[in-house]
Amino acid sequence: MDIATLKRLEKLNQLALTEEQEKAFLEFFSKKEKEAEALSEIDTENVERMVHVMPIMTVVREDKEIKNFTRDELQQSAPETTDGYWQVPRLVE
Amino acid sequence: MYITKNGVKTDKAIVLDDMILTKDMPTTAGSRMLEGYNSLFNATVVDKLTDAGYEIAGKANVGEFAIDVMGETSHFGAVKDDEGNLSLGSAEILKKEKVKAAIQLDVNGAPRRASAVSRLVFVKPTYGTVSRYGTVPVACSGETVGVMAKSANDCLEVLEVISGYDAKDGTSLPADMIEEAGEIKRVAVVTAFDGSIDDGVKADIDAFVKTLEAKGVAVEKIDGAGLLASKTAWNILMSAELCNNVSRYDGVKYGYRTSDYTTIDELYTNSRTEAFGDLLKTAILYGSETLSDENYMKVYDKALRVRRVTVDYFDSLFENYDAVLMPATSKKAYGEADVKDMAYEENLYTAPASITGLPAVVAEGVQLVGKVFSEKALLELVKLCKEGE
Repeated sequence: MDIATLKRLEKLNQLALTEEQEKAFLEFFSKKEKEAEALSEIDTENVERMVHVMPIMTVVREDKEIKNFTRDELQQSAPETTDGYWQVPRLVE
Repeated sequence: MYITKNGVKTDKAIVLDDMILTKDMPTTAGSRMLEGYNSLFNATVVDKLTDAGYEIAGKANVGEFAIDVMGETSHFGAVKDDEGNLSLGSAEILKKEKVKAAIQLDVNGAPRRASAVSRLVFVKPTYGTVSRYGTVPVACSGETVGVMAKSANDCLEVLEVISGYDAKDGTSLPADMIEEAGEIKRVAVVTAFDGSIDDGVKADIDAFVKTLEAKGVAVEKIDGAGLLASKTAWNILMSAELCNNVSRYDGVKYGYRTSDYTTIDELYTNSRTEAFGDLLKTAILYGSETLSDENYMKVYDKALRVRRVTVDYFDSLFENYDAVLMPATSKKAYGEADVKDMAYEENLYTAPASITGLPAVVAEGVQLVGKVFSEKALLELVKLCKEGE
């Protein structure tokens, strides 16, 4: 991985690493890349991917109204609210 | 008896690790991101315990989002035992207080490692048998709510209370899908890990093997090299799932918000950058890259196929054995320096059960992994081994 790819990943994940952290991550990634390459030695040609370890597929609950939280309850842990809305900086000028 | 802060004497006190949501106490996941966060509801396991007359004594510190070796990445500081070695909050409370058990979310094996070094018992039940509703989501396809206690008996008692179908958890297994496994009579001892564990751990395995043999259990050594790929595959899946799960923390709806922003992008980026620790940032970036166009098939999809290969490998072992004995750790104790950059390495021993969803029990410093729905049989085996001591 080069630094440009890492910068793109940081932006994508809304993170800003220091130079030291970037260096450490590139070392970490290089090691993990080699380990992932080693997995290619395992023959998975006719093996199906396994997303769920148990035979449970998409579970849909009954289409019935259930008790929900109020706006005030949902906003009790919000860092900033105004008039019942989550407050963020202006998005459009 | 444990005396609660309200002065109630109880022999049914329970500690929860800080990955379990509670209405009456904050839940932090060991992260600055959730410092001071209060959930609107209890996890299902909490309601099940209180409905059955258990008292929640408090919450215990965990590493940030429970992916580290043993709590060393907690924003609130690492927990150490009396010798100055790393421990988990739950383990230290169990050793020092008269609590019955600790409920823990096993994401990347930390509770199993803590139980091994603290000589406690931990059961990670079969995936889907205990509700995960109301736990902080990290690596949902493998993480499991488990029980840590001083004895297999206490684990059995509490596991019985928290197990069972929960309609609120989409991965919860209905009762008619569960068929408990029978008694454990044949155990395979994996030697593939021998080169990476210290003499103390080897001695624990040898001692446990002797006890098993003395109790009439047939024990046989196997190579078990088919389990070695689990670590890499689990690291990929865990990171990919974590990356998505923690994308919800953006400094807007709840959690930490930076004071250093003028634009929405700065709000998101500075909040996440300031609140997440180094290991979490590493896991997010790694997980994100495994899901990229370039790596999705080569890395992420491959890991999903290796998961099935590992399940099939275990199945082949279970044709001849009822359980597999392996280490839970490479060391008998961890100093802080021992665990630097080790979260993606030390899970070599815990990843096989994490990636397959199989039950695992840690006791006497060793780990037993069994067939699906064999968690009670594994605990009964541990009880048998302790009889007459």
